[in-house]
Amino acid sequence: MKKRAGIGFYIFLVIFVFLVMFPFIWVFLTSIKPVGEIFTSFSWFTKNPTLSSYEAALTNRPLLRYMLNSFVVSSLTTVLAVGCAAFAAYAVTRLPIKGKGLFLGVVLAASMFPQIAIISPIFNLVTSLGLRNSYIGLVIPYITISLPLSIWVLSTFFHKIPFELEESAKLDGASPFQTFRKIIFPLATPGIFTTAILVFIAAWNEYLFALTINSDDIWRTVPVGISMYQSEFSIPWGDISAATVIVTIPIVILVLLFQKRIVSGLTSGSVKE
Amino acid sequence: MILPSLLLVIVVTLWPVAQSFYNSLFDYRLNDPTRSQKMVNANIDLERYVDNYFYINGQLSELEGSAEGEQLESVQSARETIEGYHEELTSDPEINAKMEQIDEMLMNFEPISDSELKYTEVGKDFASDYRSALEDISAEFQTMAESIDNEQLAQSFEQTGSLLSGTSENILESNFIGFANYVKYFKDQRMWQSLWNTFYFTVVSVGFELVLGLGIALLINRAFKGRGIVRASVLIPWAIPTAVAAMMWGFLYDGQTGIVAHYFEKLNIIPSASWLLSTSDGGMFSIIFADVWKTTPYMALLLLAGLQTIPNSLYEASNVDGASRWQQFIKITLPLLKSAILVALLFRTLDAFRVFDLIYVLTGGGPANATESISVYAYITLFSQQNFGAGSVLSVIVFLCVALISFIYVRLIGSELFAGRTK
Repeated sequence: MKKRAGIGFYIFLVIFVFLVMFPFIWVFLTSIKPVGEIFTSFSWFTKNPTLSSYEAALTNRPLLRYMLNSFVVSSLTTVLAVGCAAFAAYAVTRLPIKGKGLFLGVVLAASMFPQIAIISPIFNLVTSLGLRNSYIGLVIPYITISLPLSIWVLSTFFHKIPFELEESAKLDGASPFQTFRKIIFPLATPGIFTTAILVFIAAWNEYLFALTINSDDIWRTVPVGISMYQSEFSIPWGDISAATVIVTIPIVILVLLFQKRIVSGLTSGSVKE
Repeated sequence: MILPSLLLVIVVTLWPVAQSFYNSLFDYRLNDPTRSQKMVNANIDLERYVDNYFYINGQLSELEGSAEGEQLESVQSARETIEGYHEELTSDPEINAKMEQIDEMLMNFEPISDSELKYTEVGKDFASDYRSALEDISAEFQTMAESIDNEQLAQSFEQTGSLLSGTSENILESNFIGFANYVKYFKDQRMWQSLWNTFYFTVVSVGFELVLGLGIALLINRAFKGRGIVRASVLIPWAIPTAVAAMMWGFLYDGQTGIVAHYFEKLNIIPSASWLLSTSDGGMFSIIFADVWKTTPYMALLLLAGLQTIPNSLYEASNVDGASRWQQFIKITLPLLKSAILVALLFRTLDAFRVFDLIYVLTGGGPANATESISVYAYITLFSQQNFGAGSVLSVIVFLCVALISFIYVRLIGSELFAGRTK
């Protein structure tokens, strides 16, 4: 199957990538059009590019604040979830613990729970703890959503680390924790990093919890904030397209930098080697 | 070391599901003060009751002093009824003691903050009888007040009536309704419609994603320049928030300014540019199209990873035997890719079945609920209508469907999912 690619293949590739990217291209082209032109013509390029939509997007609603909220919530979630999951995954793959299969089964089952099924008790819980409209109120449910994913992906990575390394460490008199810290952790860093990216993106994209728990405008996260740009009477497409470009840029950078890692993380959950 | 994670997972996922189920057995509404608590038994708000009873006595005596004839008779019979019930209530020594304590505290204007003291459980039948008796008398007094010419008397009848109906509200009937909510939704057309929508959306979009994803995976499973760029560009739709993607597609589909709607109309794919978001078929097409765009890359990546584990020597051997490309695909690729396909399908099906943000942002479930998924319906019931009991029924239904789907898949995949991880 590994044949050399011909010219036809590259033409196909260009068309494919163009189709996939088309919404972004169009939204970007719209965002630099003058507002009047958006509603009157379908021409691709404007003769009078302007940044006024960007200005409006940043001033009409607290977009930067949304991004800060999303960033803080996602980072906290990532650190806590991956930290917890690293221990659990290590224990599952290495230590002689009974009921591992059951544990992984429960974890996998938990990752499949529909969020709508747990939202009302979580909402009651967060409300009664007084954590609505705060970062922690979102981080708690996010950690538990992302824990199953992290444990699952990390245990695949841990599994690839040769057992012999640990055994020799044990012979040299290292405690399990020392083995973990000095041998396993450095070797598992790429895997942990990969997991962290996945968790971060998942938390950044989450919508349902963010919508219900942090309902105050200044506590909204990016997805919720953006979806509130349209009002009942008008849809400011100029603002929306500019805001979309602004919030997409960090994701694009993240993906471009770490695409290999993301792919290995995504596929490690589903494909055995 | 596992314990903290396991505890967290249980506390924040398993426990809420159980809680959701428990909530679904109640008529539990956050915006209705008499139903904002889950009560298995009937209760009386003693603080208010004792306070009101004191005034009821006074009011009735005043009416007895000024009313005549038929009116006097009905006031007397009302007093008899109310006192009968009140005596029955105070005949319980525990309740009597509580009431005396509350009475004393009220006299001293002390607030009653102890809910053990404030609420007391009473029999279900007693509560509903007393409640309806009070309501009947109240209604009787109100109608009487309308027919009385003497303005002052009419007013005091009216006041007593509203005092009694206020008192009846302090007798809180149990809002435990068992499976009545389930029965209600079983007959609810909108529930079946939303379940069907979800099912339709899941099957069609996952079907398209599988076919397209497999095609893309087969095509890019070879050596070529610029793999990184292709990989990044297919990852970006996956990585951006669904809500943002939905806003973007909302713009592209818009009947007046949307470029996709415009071109589709030009190419005669759709009848008119406004068809996409304002008709039910168009709405369904729109959400499926946007979902296919967003998640096909993910499917393709999973399948590509599976393809790359198939050893090349198999293809070489079959080439020697003179197998065609199609035969190779059917006999080698598909069987070896089976587990990767099943796992990818499992994840995608579950994701698609609980679809919420795409639909909520893009169409809001409209037009005319034609694209409402069961999650969207549950969200609207829970949070827009503040009806936690009924909404929980819908969440439980989603949960059961997801459990059923994953059960079927796990049966198909079986131990393959666990192999190599638990050793």
